[in-house]
Amino acid sequence: MEYEFEARTEEEAIELAARELGLSREQFDVEILESQKGGFLKKGKTRIKIYTTEAKIWAAEEAPAARNRVSAKDGEAKILEFVTGLVERMGYNCKATVLFREEQKLGIRLDSSSAAILIGKKGKNLDSLQLLVNVYAGQLGYGNLRVILDTENYRIRREESIVKMAYETAEQVRRNRVSVLLEAMNPFERRIVHTTLNDIVDIETKSEGEGLYKQVRVTFRGKI
Amino acid sequence: MERDLIEYIAKSLVDDPSAVSVRTVETEAGLTIELRVAPADIGKVIGKQGRIAKAIRTVLSASSVRGNKDVRLQILD
Repeated sequence: MEYEFEARTEEEAIELAARELGLSREQFDVEILESQKGGFLKKGKTRIKIYTTEAKIWAAEEAPAARNRVSAKDGEAKILEFVTGLVERMGYNCKATVLFREEQKLGIRLDSSSAAILIGKKGKNLDSLQLLVNVYAGQLGYGNLRVILDTENYRIRREESIVKMAYETAEQVRRNRVSVLLEAMNPFERRIVHTTLNDIVDIETKSEGEGLYKQVRVTFRGKI
Repeated sequence: MERDLIEYIAKSLVDDPSAVSVRTVETEAGLTIELRVAPADIGKVIGKQGRIAKAIRTVLSASSVRGNKDVRLQILD
């Protein structure tokens, strides 16, 4: 059996794998697929592949807490099938694999030669596909499960670029003492801006506008 | 075909897939897809503030099967 996991560091990824699969460290082999060192302003990222001969992984978890996940496993195949069918009917080839499993969270990776179109402008198409998949999961009875779609590591790359942009904007606001209104973003992306700039004492962030896509205003509030 | 795409999405999201019907109307302005679902299922294809309908339209416009045609989706009740 093979599984893929992703975390900020290698140790974290292995720990996550052991926890998710209910195995001890000696029961699987690890291959590092990708490793990016974190730096200042930048989160590290490590992707690992787990090989194990333990076949009982899911069944072994009879504990009440794990019941949710076991039932989610049945839906998992259906969800993957739905995404693949959806993208294929859009006219693109697609392979869907599980990227990570967390409590109430399922990450799915799409591999397609048309990945750029599946992402769309500012991730619009990927967000729409993700919404439909989540509605489908809800319809299957996994209302509490959050499905995250990713392709070509778009989500991680986008997060990094938002963090970078947030810092640059803060710098500019501090220099010019003029507030800046950022482009419209979805709630998840706005949250990244807020949390990134939360620790900077002389900078304030606030969402403006209506609906799902709001703009964040970055203002200077330090001593002049 | 864009008809299959809409039918596939609609049937996956509703409680009563047998009531889903999709009709396409070709005009000089482009293609209009008319989607009908069971009255109780209308909310499932539209969603709160039209979120689901919007997502379906985005997916439709991103699909290659439509070629360069202008495709519109109408949800009828």
